[in-house]
Amino acid sequence: MSAAIGRLSRRQTGVLALALIVTAALRLSAQTLTVKTVADALHVQARGFSFIDGPVLNRLKEGRSVRIDFEMTVLAKPEGPVVRQASQSFTLSFDLWEERFAVSRGGSPPRSISHLRARDAESWCLDNLTMPVTSLGQYGREPFWIRLAYRIQEPAPAGNEAPGERFTLRGLIDRLSRRREEDDLARSIDAGPFRLPN
Amino acid sequence: MARRLPSRCDMRILALLFAILGLPLLVAHAQEVDAPEGAIIDAVEMSGFSPYSLSPGLQKDMDALVGSPLSHERIRELASRIEAEQPEVVAATRSLSRPDGKAHVVFLVARISDDTDLVENINARYMVESVDIGGASAEVSQQLRDDLQKLVGKRLDTEEADRLSERLEDELPGREVKRRISKGSQAGTIRVVFEIIEEPWIPFIPPRSKLVYQADQGWSGVLDVPMTDSLRRYRFSVGLALGDRDDLIEVYSGFRLRFESRVLGTEKLGASLEFSRFNDTWEDATLAALAANPAIPGAYRNRLMLEPMVTFAFNPNVRISTGVSLSNMESLMQSPDSQTANAWVAGISADNRWQSTAGARQHAEASYQLRTAGKGLDSDLVYTRHLGQARYQLDHRHNTIIAGFSLGYIGGQAPLFERFSLGDTSALRGWNKYDIDPAGGQRLVYQTVEYRYRHIAVFFDAGSVWDENTASTIRYSTGFGVHSDGGFVTVGFPLNAGGTGATFMMGVRF
Repeated sequence: MSAAIGRLSRRQTGVLALALIVTAALRLSAQTLTVKTVADALHVQARGFSFIDGPVLNRLKEGRSVRIDFEMTVLAKPEGPVVRQASQSFTLSFDLWEERFAVSRGGSPPRSISHLRARDAESWCLDNLTMPVTSLGQYGREPFWIRLAYRIQEPAPAGNEAPGERFTLRGLIDRLSRRREEDDLARSIDAGPFRLPN
Repeated sequence: MARRLPSRCDMRILALLFAILGLPLLVAHAQEVDAPEGAIIDAVEMSGFSPYSLSPGLQKDMDALVGSPLSHERIRELASRIEAEQPEVVAATRSLSRPDGKAHVVFLVARISDDTDLVENINARYMVESVDIGGASAEVSQQLRDDLQKLVGKRLDTEEADRLSERLEDELPGREVKRRISKGSQAGTIRVVFEIIEEPWIPFIPPRSKLVYQADQGWSGVLDVPMTDSLRRYRFSVGLALGDRDDLIEVYSGFRLRFESRVLGTEKLGASLEFSRFNDTWEDATLAALAANPAIPGAYRNRLMLEPMVTFAFNPNVRISTGVSLSNMESLMQSPDSQTANAWVAGISADNRWQSTAGARQHAEASYQLRTAGKGLDSDLVYTRHLGQARYQLDHRHNTIIAGFSLGYIGGQAPLFERFSLGDTSALRGWNKYDIDPAGGQRLVYQTVEYRYRHIAVFFDAGSVWDENTASTIRYSTGFGVHSDGGFVTVGFPLNAGGTGATFMMGVRF
């Protein structure tokens, strides 16, 4: 009886270990980076790299907007050195009546889009995060690694940016020092090596 | 002709499109009256966007409207298809009645990126149906309530809404304001809720950061940097003192580390732990006074302090605290000898804020603290220190009245950092503490009254600090200054100093 239990336990252990391995493998494969070039622009695609969920989604569904700062870094090898960096900010909001997401890209020229599902909004952000291929120099011909990172920021209150704003030292200290809840909402993934098609 | 109720599409973006496009064409082509359901459509127009950018199918369906009876539902559906095909735009419709009874349909289309409010939040296309305050709404001034209601009936102005959130936080210190938006009762409208999140029953200690200058004493600086968000249950802060001579008789520089938790399982229980190490220097006047009075414990070159405390709140307004304060001071004259001052600490504090119907905001606070050091805690110095303080502030429109009162008593041999002093940038302004009692005193009585109109302030201070078995002399001072957001520039005049000198003070507390 005890031997049977022992065999059963080993079998269970094996199944559990297999499940863990498969889960880990699925998680790894679920978050994969690929790159592509369109004209002179290097694009990154990240399958499974979702950010409209959890607290971000809750905040959007409360009608608040969310700013996301993306950074794409090209590395000469894993963990550096940095060859080139590109960053782009996006403002997300959720149309309460249409029940679709809207995304606006900062910078020039500004671009906005609405009526997107969550996954489409995420893809749109990544599509608008680009880097000129020519800026990679020789690394355009050599293998390179990519780091994709984002950080959720709450849009600064408009009053803080208005001319004649009320500047407070206390506020400055708070801004410089406090670890906001949003600090926890930052992620990055690395992948490589990649090589651009000739 | 009955006016049609605003439809979802109309309500949500007509104001936007009129603002962006102007649309004089509508007035030229038709009367400003909505066409009734069933009126025959004689023309369909698209404004702000080329219809040739739409799919052939959609173009055909829009063209097919001409000659058919007006169906608002059908038109809204076409507007939604425009948005679905062209997600960079928002679309609204108008159906206007012509004099001959026929309908003129206009699709109004605008790019989202052309409107900063929409870029910030797509819900800015909708009309605000109502604005509510969730939480401690009774404490919000009528003026601010009125300003909040001005959002109603207009498109959501996110910048203005953010400014109003900030004003709410200013009026309700220590509380967080979150803005939520939800669907309104009518299609295309939204409700805005400013939710006030109450402060826990046990507050963090107020920030002690400052950079101040007193003409007789020079500069003092303290920087308290909270490392965690002030709205969390706990806070860790690092403090630096750079030659601070504004608080105590000693001039101290060093650091303090402080951890506070204001919710330990229950919001009624909190705890704190502060560790500090300061190097001390002394004014010549203080050293001379110590030499003249051997009964006062000696000066020290550095001070190490550990203070674990527990706080219990009876309700949001009344709290008691207890703990110990363990200090070790290395002697200035006989280094490395040191003395300890280990005291039990107990205190009670109460505060309350309220607002009258006339809009006057009031804040009253009072506290009493007892520190008693004895052999039970292996203390070299044996003493008991009582300190009671009360403060009241009234704000009404641009007027502020501040009144404060302090009473202190020390029995036994208290170390110099426990002794009372007056004559700095915040107490008995205009006097110099090193002229009054350079080694501090065992007794304290002090009161202050200040009136501010906008940023201009006048004050009257009176107080005395003295030792047991010595006579008490009440000193008075008055002055004026400018205060703004923690910053101040003040001139104080000692009234019974036997001279006409003035003392200049300035600085910032934050």
